[in-house]
Amino acid sequence: MLEIAEQVVERARIHGAQQAAAGAYQVREVSVQWRDGAVEKLTEATTRGVGVELYVDGRYASVSTSDLRPDALDTFVGDAIAMTRALAPDPFRALPDPQLYRGQSDVDLQLADPNYGALTAVARRELAQQLEAAARDTPDGARILSATTSVSDSQSRSWRVHSDGFVGQKVGTSYWLGAEVSVQDADGRRPEDACYAGARWRGDVPDPQGIGAEATRRTLSRLGSRKPESGQVTLVVDARAAGRVVSSLLGGLSAAGWQQKRSFLEGKLGAQIGNALLDVTDDPLVVRGLGSRRFDGEGMAAREMALFAAGVLKNGLVDTYYGKKLQMAPTTGRLSNLRWRLGAKGREALLRDVGDGIFVTGFLGGNANGTTGDFSWGIQGFAIRAGQLAEPIGEANISGNHLTLWPALLAVGDDPYRYSALRTPTLVFGGVNVAGR
Amino acid sequence: MSTAHVSGGTGLAAALQYFGRFGVDEALIRTALAAALARGGDRADVYFQHRVAHSLGLEDGAVNRAWSGIELGVGIRVLRGDQTGYGYTEDLTPESVRQAALTAAAIADGPSRERPIPQLVATAIPQRYPAKTPWDQVAAATRLPLLQRVQERAFAADPRVQKVTVHFSDEEGAVLMVDSDGRVAFDTQPMTLIHLSCMAEENGRRESNGGNIAGRAGLEFYNDAKLDKLVREAVDRTTILFEAGQPPAGEMPVVLGAGSSGILLHEAIGHGLEADFNRKGVSIYADKLGKPIAAPFVTVVDDATNEGARGAINIDDEGNAAGVTTLIHDGVLQTYLHDSISARHYGVQPTGNGRRESFRHAPLPRMRSTYMLPGPHTPEEIIASVDRGIYCGNFANGQVQIGAGDFTFYVKNGWLIEGGKLTRPIKDVNLIGNGPKVLEQIDMVGNDLKIDDGGWTCGKDGQSVPVSQGMPTTRVRAMTVGGRG
Repeated sequence: MLEIAEQVVERARIHGAQQAAAGAYQVREVSVQWRDGAVEKLTEATTRGVGVELYVDGRYASVSTSDLRPDALDTFVGDAIAMTRALAPDPFRALPDPQLYRGQSDVDLQLADPNYGALTAVARRELAQQLEAAARDTPDGARILSATTSVSDSQSRSWRVHSDGFVGQKVGTSYWLGAEVSVQDADGRRPEDACYAGARWRGDVPDPQGIGAEATRRTLSRLGSRKPESGQVTLVVDARAAGRVVSSLLGGLSAAGWQQKRSFLEGKLGAQIGNALLDVTDDPLVVRGLGSRRFDGEGMAAREMALFAAGVLKNGLVDTYYGKKLQMAPTTGRLSNLRWRLGAKGREALLRDVGDGIFVTGFLGGNANGTTGDFSWGIQGFAIRAGQLAEPIGEANISGNHLTLWPALLAVGDDPYRYSALRTPTLVFGGVNVAGR
Repeated sequence: MSTAHVSGGTGLAAALQYFGRFGVDEALIRTALAAALARGGDRADVYFQHRVAHSLGLEDGAVNRAWSGIELGVGIRVLRGDQTGYGYTEDLTPESVRQAALTAAAIADGPSRERPIPQLVATAIPQRYPAKTPWDQVAAATRLPLLQRVQERAFAADPRVQKVTVHFSDEEGAVLMVDSDGRVAFDTQPMTLIHLSCMAEENGRRESNGGNIAGRAGLEFYNDAKLDKLVREAVDRTTILFEAGQPPAGEMPVVLGAGSSGILLHEAIGHGLEADFNRKGVSIYADKLGKPIAAPFVTVVDDATNEGARGAINIDDEGNAAGVTTLIHDGVLQTYLHDSISARHYGVQPTGNGRRESFRHAPLPRMRSTYMLPGPHTPEEIIASVDRGIYCGNFANGQVQIGAGDFTFYVKNGWLIEGGKLTRPIKDVNLIGNGPKVLEQIDMVGNDLKIDDGGWTCGKDGQSVPVSQGMPTTRVRAMTVGGRG
């Protein structure tokens, strides 16, 4: 596939592109979905394709194809260049400054399990079966309507070739286990919940027993959920669920949003966005990290970057194009892994500190306005009474604005969620509007 | 734009003419099906797909970016009872296709049964979206003025509009399905969408919003009236945000405006009626067939036949006929949305709802164009009936929990209703309710059904498919509005 990327760049130059950057990929994915004692679905495939960004006479296009027959590739590149020539010129389009390719870390990121491929079809089925057995191994097993489990793994390889000499290769593997459980509630509802865990190396994936049992525990805890009363409450957001709130905040970091003046963080570099507890760094060099990389999607060497330091906005996600438009130095256009300055307390201690409030275990729908920072999301979770989790709540919304939410960050847990590159800890916010009854 | 245009025809010859240039012939199809059944599967099908998509972007005054994508490949499915084996490949050489088929075959673990594939016979299918000017005959330079025109009109519409982006996309493609009974279906599937986003400034405040229109059509889809409506709606929905506030929080009556409010049906009931969830017993509607679940004036359909609609299909992605499926008739729950697996499971005819994102995915029961038929009330009397509540105008997105039944939709623009009148605009608020409860609480349905022409996309199990939705003005007695204070 490296040769295909090289050929595409070469053909682009022959057809008249001054610059080109090609990316080719090949991904093998295998998954087993298991339900109620039998395989529900087996999927296995190796998928591949190539894409190329074209810079032609000051004009830009980005195109991709999965038809890799040599004559088809040549026609594809020729047609794409003809299409690019029909566009208006854009003086801000160019490959990155080659200086930014330099200085790649030589840390061994260990993103690929060297034993990938050793997992057999039989072993996958056994894992799926064990997940289900663990989910059903509970005194309340009779309430379970259905248990679906999944076992999947993938190996992805990608190659990037630029006309200015940059060549990069990435190889990564991942393994995921999951269990979803539905139970019968007294009033006809059939609440469902799930537990998933994964890692880049097979040996880092937790045992199926814990995952299956956790899925059932979570689901059973939903029985009898009620709407909470409307009002302003202290909100504790579970580490597993906090990604929704955090990714909405981080959406404001995009330089495209800044340049288009559609971001509530536009013009706020150096400003206090949250209180001192909001302290987050993008760290691309985490060994075996889910979002780790040595170079980014444009070939720029990956570096650690502070996003918020003691609540102050330090950097945005600035790619080459919007960097030029904004006359800002590019950082990177995409996040890798987050590293939080963690607090000293775990969930139980945080709940005790809060006393009364709502513990959010999941979000349902909702959205945010990226221009103003307003958000409104559906939630489910539990009431917190006297420092303990109490009755399950659901069918409620929270609403607010990021610019007032993060100054009201009361605590950060010590418990980053391992199964997401956002690695969010438990977060506690004061005075959040909840709409229920 | 290199795609040779293949004229008309839905038969096997037309299909093999289209896909023949990629090396697909009857021998390859038979090789794939034979390999698929090599381990004793009950049935198998192959799904060849070729899709060419283009899009153009206008930002900061110029159409200065383009994207295109070519997808070519085949997906092979093997069924044994309710169980599915699936493999796919982008490489259409016989060896690669055979390997993908053998992978799918592994869902069964027995010896091959002697079962020749019968003669291939093409299914006649309706033509609900014949493109008069197919996209493979339209030069890039012809598309550019469309975007520029939309931009000029958006700036002209209101001086507060400061930034405009326009995205235009079109798609031309074909699918060829053949199953182990020898059934062949061939369909060519155009799609187009234009999206306008505006950022406006007033007294140092900024607001942004947008709108889009979409359909299964060629260049003829676009005319001045459509583009004017797109611009007017997007600009109005943006500038009104300067006056808009947050509604109060809590339970209150909700009036859904005609058109895109069909998102309520999509989330509150549509997903819950997809038969895979019911077959597994995990849907809140799993035991409600034949029972009254809404007022007698509530009739809801899922319709594949709306000509040129984004959610229209000539045939589903399993080669089954797709028509109008009545989900709720006069308040009584009629049927689930079936694919082949669930139809066999329940012993009923498939409803033509087996759909997939691409050859990389196995089909699932999915919606097409979901809407409520008109009811006995006028929109005016519905609004006048509410003393204190909200009116929902347009929406961004929605979501549902299939089993618990809780669903949400996000209202981008709406109005407060006070004393039977629309008083103040509201914005950015999530609404949450429980599907069966909300259906019971629909107590007024207007006579003004409108099917929205927006570019709606439905996501399920990691697969996106285009859908449509529609609604007459409708009142729900109470839902939880995620306002403040």
